[in-house]
Amino acid sequence: METQSVIQIKNLTKIYRDFWGRKKVRALNSLSLDVKKGEVFGLLGPNGSGKTTTMKLLLGLLFPTEGEITVLGKPASDVSKNEWIGYLPEESYLYRFLNAEETLDFYGRLFDMSPQQRKERSNQLIELVGLQNARKRQLKEYSKGMTRRIGLAQALINNPDLILLDEPTSGLDPLGSRDMKDLIVKLKNEGKTVVMCSHLLADVQDVCDRIAILYAGELKELGRVDDLLKEQHETELLTSKLSPEAVADVEAVLAKHNAKLLRHGHPTNSLEDLFLKTVQKSQERPGQRFVPAASEKS
Amino acid sequence: MNFDAKPFLLFSNIENGLMHWLLVFGSFIGVIFAATVLIALGIYGVSGPVAVMGRVRQGLHDFVNLSPKRIWAISWLTIIEAVRRKALLVFVVFAFLMMFAGWFLDSDLRADLQVKNAVSFALTTVSWLTIPVLLLLSCWGIPEDIRVRSIHTVVTKPVRRNEIVMGRILGFATIAAGIVAMMGIVGYVWILRQVPNNASLICRVPVYGTLQFLDREGNVSEKGINTGDIWEFRSYIEGGSKASGAYKFSVDAPVDRIKLESRFEAFRTHKGRMGQSLLVRYVLVNPTKDLRVPLDSFEIKEFNLNEQYLERKLSFYDEARMEKRTVDLFDDVVDQNSLTIEVQCLDVGQYLGMARPDFFIRLPDRPFAVGYFKAVFGIWLLTVFIVSIGVTSSTFVKGPVATLLTFSLLIIGQGFREFMIKLITGVQKGGGPIESWYRLVTHMNDTLELPDNIGIKIMQGIDNVMLAGLWLMQHLIPDLTSFVMSPYVANGFDVPWNVAIFRSLAITIGYLVPCLLVGYYSLTLRELEAK
Ligand SMILES: Nc1ncnc2c1ncn2[C@@H]1O[C@H](COP(=O)(O)OP(=O)(O)OP(=O)(O)O)[C@@H](O)[C@H]1O
Ligand SMILES: [Mg+2]
Repeated sequence: METQSVIQIKNLTKIYRDFWGRKKVRALNSLSLDVKKGEVFGLLGPNGSGKTTTMKLLLGLLFPTEGEITVLGKPASDVSKNEWIGYLPEESYLYRFLNAEETLDFYGRLFDMSPQQRKERSNQLIELVGLQNARKRQLKEYSKGMTRRIGLAQALINNPDLILLDEPTSGLDPLGSRDMKDLIVKLKNEGKTVVMCSHLLADVQDVCDRIAILYAGELKELGRVDDLLKEQHETELLTSKLSPEAVADVEAVLAKHNAKLLRHGHPTNSLEDLFLKTVQKSQERPGQRFVPAASEKS
Repeated sequence: MNFDAKPFLLFSNIENGLMHWLLVFGSFIGVIFAATVLIALGIYGVSGPVAVMGRVRQGLHDFVNLSPKRIWAISWLTIIEAVRRKALLVFVVFAFLMMFAGWFLDSDLRADLQVKNAVSFALTTVSWLTIPVLLLLSCWGIPEDIRVRSIHTVVTKPVRRNEIVMGRILGFATIAAGIVAMMGIVGYVWILRQVPNNASLICRVPVYGTLQFLDREGNVSEKGINTGDIWEFRSYIEGGSKASGAYKFSVDAPVDRIKLESRFEAFRTHKGRMGQSLLVRYVLVNPTKDLRVPLDSFEIKEFNLNEQYLERKLSFYDEARMEKRTVDLFDDVVDQNSLTIEVQCLDVGQYLGMARPDFFIRLPDRPFAVGYFKAVFGIWLLTVFIVSIGVTSSTFVKGPVATLLTFSLLIIGQGFREFMIKLITGVQKGGGPIESWYRLVTHMNDTLELPDNIGIKIMQGIDNVMLAGLWLMQHLIPDLTSFVMSPYVANGFDVPWNVAIFRSLAITIGYLVPCLLVGYYSLTLRELEAK
């Protein structure tokens, strides 16, 4: 059963140059990725590791120095693919002099939607992102979280098949980020593809099917979240609260099977562990990078 | 301040204009295309030109598949932005100026000069307020959009980059239309209130003829006499001789009477008859029928207009036949739709100066509003031109640079054009630039033949390319003088369609098309990141 690739990136390198064409930063180095239809894909990495750069390259906002990008079967520079794409930028760069309704109406027009459609859709989205009370206020008066919300609404205006979210939960209150995660899951259930990057590992762990970890523009880790977090030579048991005697009993049982109780307590946020470990490893051994296993290769 | 209507400024022939435009536009595009292909070939080898061709194909595709809805969406955004950024406050400035301007306009002047001042003031104020506002708006719009990256949310929608350029231009043009129309109406009402009781607002419709001079022996000559006036606009004929200026007008359908209007200039070599002005006579001529109909002589009013009427039936004394005759203006005098009138000066030793626009047939006047609002339209056309250039330049440079660029073009186009062209073409003396340099170095006079060898051939070849480049450059500089239509209105004339309106419209469109192309490619080929 071959699932369709929505995004294919091959040997993507991006070098930022200054006005005179001199090289400034190598933001991405020979990155190869595939995102399959219907999955939620997470891009992780420390600040400045090239996540936003990757997204902009996918959208054709930046031009690759080397390598190939195919999005929805089209080259990244092809504008017509945008018909099915939604993009939430890292910071919501919207038109500050418009209010929420006007903003959504404007973006709706860019998709040649009819006035009726635009009205329905923007009402629906304003409801979805919870801005009913601020719909008539100009965006320059919005708080950061409110701006994120309207940014999300504009990304969904065209009911896109592929949604690129650059740090979707940044600036949102806990309730808001809960809603955001629910929304991402809902989108996934509708069969849409979501690519997101975030620093909030808990969020990523909750919603992503697969993740890639970037470090200094290089791919360091790629795979299913479950697989990556599964330590092959450890087993984790989760039980209801145990009394000290019960723990001692369990230890005895384990000893019988030649195993040791390494640690007990509440399960940790283990993606964080993975992330820190990967970053640490990258710092120690800069040359090493993720090489796709045979199964990953198309 | 003097005004002379420019009745014959170029563009009498639309086909010539179009061909000329195609030539300039074609060479412009050709040069850019060839340079791009060569550079691409140099950097990327064969795949370079292939990629360039891909871009061209993509460009064609994008221009064919424009979406008016999306363009209008961008225009709407542009308009809302201008309104919310309070660009329309310029109205307040305008209203303020208009409220107090009356105090400063001289009310001791002759009535018709007062009218002229009021009209000039109103139209000048409209353009001087509108143009800077639109210049700044159009030059800063896209760079600001890129700087705050709001453009990222637009270009990640199915918007073509040419739609952004077009939408912006359309939006600014709409704003300009609003501002200019409002100010135009306010200015009109203001002018009506400024007109003194003993003056009126007029809108004359002149039909100009061609002018040919006959010298004192009665032979055709290119020009009349130059009286040493610093201003060579007028040529002079000698009084009391056979010298005359022959105006040839084309007339169509017969009418009952024709009104003639003239403003000749007297040049006196002696005081002449005391208290009297120069005596002038019109002679209607039909060369085919050998008919000469002298009209009654009249004294010219200097610095003012002479008005005469030609009736349908003309009675005169025929000197050749020695009898009194009556002829029909259209049946006998008009020869194949053309009416020839010779102007003679009857004072011996005095000179009469005339130029083509000094004498014309005056058709029935139009309402003043017609001429006035044509001039207002002209102001709008100029802002559209500026906006096109401004938006286009702002796609590849930042706001301040774009403003400077557009402003310079505006200044050059208003009057320094001739000077610039001289500057550019000045290099041409003694062959092309390289040849003249060669001659300079070898101390060679520029009339000597150059040796015939391969080096010289190459040199001249390069020179020809450079001269072609200069030719192209000089034709890329716009001539914006036709956009300024207020002198017509201020001097009581209608604004001519051909000379002013159509010409300005053609220039605007002529620049708009390449602007769209340049804007499209510069937005497509650059990363929209603030640098
Ligand atoms: N416009 C630009 N010009 C020059 N360098 C840039 C530009 N944008 C990004 N960079 C550089 O490219 C690298 C990757 O940046 P990018 O924004 O992709 O990181 P990121 O992973 O999104 O970081 P963050 O987590 O902080 O958002 C950084 O070193 C950054 O300085
Ligand atoms: Mg980022």
